[in-house]
Amino acid sequence: MEPLYGVLDLLVLRTLVFGPLHGYAIATAIRNSSGEALNIEFGSLYPALKRLELKGWISAKWETSERNRPARVYRLTAAGRKRLRQETSEWSDFVRAVGRVLKSPDPEVGQ
Amino acid sequence: MMSFLMMLWKRLGYLLPWRRRAAEQEIADEIRSIAAMAQPGELGSLTLAAEDARTELGWTRLEQTGQDLRYAARAARKSPGFTVAAVASLAIGIGVNAALFSLINTMLWKSLPIRDPETLLVIGRQTQTGLSNRFTYGNYETFRDHVSALTVAGYGTVPLNVAIDGRIEPTLQGHLVSGGYFPLMGLAPAAGRLLGPDDDRVPSGHAVAVLSYDYWRRRFGADPAVVGRAISISGHPFTIVGVSPAEFFGAEVGSSPQFFLPIMMQPVVMPMTADLIARDTNVTSLWIRVLARVKADGSIPRATAQLDALEGSPETEWRLRDKFTGQLEQARLVVGSAATGLSDLRRQFSQPLFLLLGIAVIVLLIACANVGNLVLARAAARRAEFALRLALGAGRGRLVRQVIAESLVLAVPAGVAALAFAYWTAYTLIGYAAIGRDAIVLDVWPDWRVLAFTAIVSAAAGLMLGCVPAIHASRADRSVASLDLARARAVGHAPGPGRALVVLQMALSLVLLVGAGLFVRSLQNLNRHDADVDQRRVIVVRIEPRGSGNRHAPGMATALDQTYRSLITQVEALPGVRSASFARSSPLGQTGFGYQIFRPAAAQAELLTGSIVYPRYFATMGMPILAGRDFNEEDLRTGSPSAVIVNEAFVRTVIGGASPLGTGHGVSEGGGRGAPRRPMNIVGVVKDSRFPALREAARPIVYQTFLQARTGFGGMTLHVRMSELREATVQQIRAAVQAVQPDVPMFQLHSLAEEVDAALVRERLVATLSGVFGLVALVLICVGLYGLMAFAVARRTAEIGVRVALGATPSDIRGLMARQAIGVLLIGLGIGVPAAWIAGRLASAQLSPLLFGLTPADPISFAMATVLLALVTFAAGVVPALRAARIDPIIALRHE
Repeated sequence: MEPLYGVLDLLVLRTLVFGPLHGYAIATAIRNSSGEALNIEFGSLYPALKRLELKGWISAKWETSERNRPARVYRLTAAGRKRLRQETSEWSDFVRAVGRVLKSPDPEVGQ
Repeated sequence: MMSFLMMLWKRLGYLLPWRRRAAEQEIADEIRSIAAMAQPGELGSLTLAAEDARTELGWTRLEQTGQDLRYAARAARKSPGFTVAAVASLAIGIGVNAALFSLINTMLWKSLPIRDPETLLVIGRQTQTGLSNRFTYGNYETFRDHVSALTVAGYGTVPLNVAIDGRIEPTLQGHLVSGGYFPLMGLAPAAGRLLGPDDDRVPSGHAVAVLSYDYWRRRFGADPAVVGRAISISGHPFTIVGVSPAEFFGAEVGSSPQFFLPIMMQPVVMPMTADLIARDTNVTSLWIRVLARVKADGSIPRATAQLDALEGSPETEWRLRDKFTGQLEQARLVVGSAATGLSDLRRQFSQPLFLLLGIAVIVLLIACANVGNLVLARAAARRAEFALRLALGAGRGRLVRQVIAESLVLAVPAGVAALAFAYWTAYTLIGYAAIGRDAIVLDVWPDWRVLAFTAIVSAAAGLMLGCVPAIHASRADRSVASLDLARARAVGHAPGPGRALVVLQMALSLVLLVGAGLFVRSLQNLNRHDADVDQRRVIVVRIEPRGSGNRHAPGMATALDQTYRSLITQVEALPGVRSASFARSSPLGQTGFGYQIFRPAAAQAELLTGSIVYPRYFATMGMPILAGRDFNEEDLRTGSPSAVIVNEAFVRTVIGGASPLGTGHGVSEGGGRGAPRRPMNIVGVVKDSRFPALREAARPIVYQTFLQARTGFGGMTLHVRMSELREATVQQIRAAVQAVQPDVPMFQLHSLAEEVDAALVRERLVATLSGVFGLVALVLICVGLYGLMAFAVARRTAEIGVRVALGATPSDIRGLMARQAIGVLLIGLGIGVPAAWIAGRLASAQLSPLLFGLTPADPISFAMATVLLALVTFAAGVVPALRAARIDPIIALRHE
């Protein structure tokens, strides 16, 4: 399942709430936490990281990974944190609204 | 929002090649590090991810636009003929708009180049007849001394007689300024010093001069050593003390004084007039303009209140008294902004310029329609290309953007060319407007307003002419069938939009031609009267010898009379001169003096216009004497019996049916203050002159000889009629006039034709420009219609071939094509005639001051415009129709 446009940004920001991660870790974290339901192409994820960095919501630094290799590690900025709160609430509103529509009785399809 | 700006900022940074390289290197490094962590193939194509990430650094949308523009530029280069024609017609269309706009801008909106121009004020007198800015010097002193809320400065413009190293310069212009003038402007000198309060203390006691920057540069090569140099003004030694700053030309838009002199030097500089700065209530010359700023502790309401309080008290009364009745004039002081300067040009030209700008917009629309037509024809030819690109997967949006980019590629160079064209046109128009008067100096170098206007007009023109083909392109057929080139050319472009554009052009041109017809015919009406005299061969020059401002001084009148009579004798002796004479009034300048009459048995005096003439004036001006005789030597003599000559209008309105000659008509002349009445002895009647009021019916005028007239001023205007136009004779006349009193300023010498041109400059400007616009429109129509017809012939070649094969004669074919052209013409006229009529109704308030002897609905103008359009239609349609008639059916059928 492909995530909706803009949701990818939300997922990346959310993943970084728990602490700084490098690109590969972000990819696996999203896959694992969604129970493998969200199959996010690295080809979409990586440009999204660049975009978020350009917008100043995340920042990146070269550090040494747990396996003692150089890795570019991303962390949430203050602006990113604010953005995450805003997008999370918008997303919840969106989900609730779609949910209400789907739960409304539909005479033709029937229950 | 912040994040958007941040992204924009960073992307701007990546425009720097080294920044971009570093960022790309970092992406490569990161991808490598990630590849080292992941399983092979786990993350898909890492190269693609890196590639997509790299595009995030750039300007995808913009780069696409750049691509469109590059492609469009390439397309434009591939068809140079089309490109040049399109750019040139757009440049002319945009250029005339930009030229008129920059003139309007310079005249109306540019602030003076002084400190805080927005707080500079001007004091004006509001009378029943209008607003004037002219005051007497005494008025200025009253404002200066009794209006504590304002800092005021006064200045007057005068002609100067300047001699440098003993040689007399051609007539120059000076501003006589009060001590507060330069401090009020807040200017710094370009060299030396400017004038200040210390130069404003003793009458005739401050012989110092400030040069204008322009004159300093032209006459002295911007030599700083000029400060301290001695020159002579009206025969009096002056010292140059400084140069005014470069951009400063005084407060009057369009004028360019070469000198600024202390106002205290007026009696020295102008020996011909009375002492205008003396404390004397008899001085009524209105020659001072008063500028002001509010003082730190003042305010405009306080200033207005103080100005209102001036009238009534003998100490501060500023209103003028009528010379005959002694009554105070009805007038009120007003304060206005002088931020953009003062200008007579403004009053005279702002309305015609806006009108012309309106006409120029029509020209631009016609040009756009024309270029749109060309673009459309090309778009039709490129149907196959569009279909191919659609089939290959280009979005329709992208295609539309492409066509718009192509239009912009035409509009942008056109806009740039238009700026140059506009600059040149504006200067030409200024030169044209200045014929027969002082040079008009206007800086029309494009400022940000002109640049913005040109940019907006160019962009609008580009979008406008891009729209139609863009819609066309978006409808292009994606089906593979339409890739067949031949079919693509032949199918599905009904003449629709192209034909509509030509109809639109026709309608707009008709409106334009009707306008041009109206203005040209008005000008003809104004010029019609003068078949009898060749105005180019009549030379007019005003002279005001020393003391002529006060001819009541003992012996002055006789001395002046002698001067004039000897000058007439001298000039008449010159080769090529037919007759010479003096008159009080110049044809279009000053109108003479007040002449009081009493009708038979009337107690109440009436005031008519009086003029002074010497013998042979009427012959010189080509005014026939209808009854009686001209003045003769006898009438000129001191103490000779009273004799006057009147014009037809006088006979018509004052005398009525009675015989005018002699004194039998019973009309008598009054002598002004207390002098006894005496009967008017009319010795001649002349035909009405159309001067000075060219547009109005002639008014009654009474002509007298110099010594018999009762007027305080003695200045006169020399009129010379030459039998042939010879520059040498003109030079001799100039020298003879100058020799009368070499140190007295000489006024400009003009031919009568130049004077008339100057008086009719608005009418000529509007008539000439609208005529030129009309011609441009006709040429554009010709091209547009020819294109449409040629296209139709090419499109219908096969059909015509079949018709000919089936027995149609060449004249049938010609008729077929002619019907198409006539159809376009008729629809164009059907829209254009009512549109022109409605436009005339809507703009009648703007038009009526420029029209003479006709109304906006003038049938002849409409008829001429219609005939012209019909002729052009015929001319443009003839060649394609003939070509159609010659089509060989065999070749035509093979064409398919």
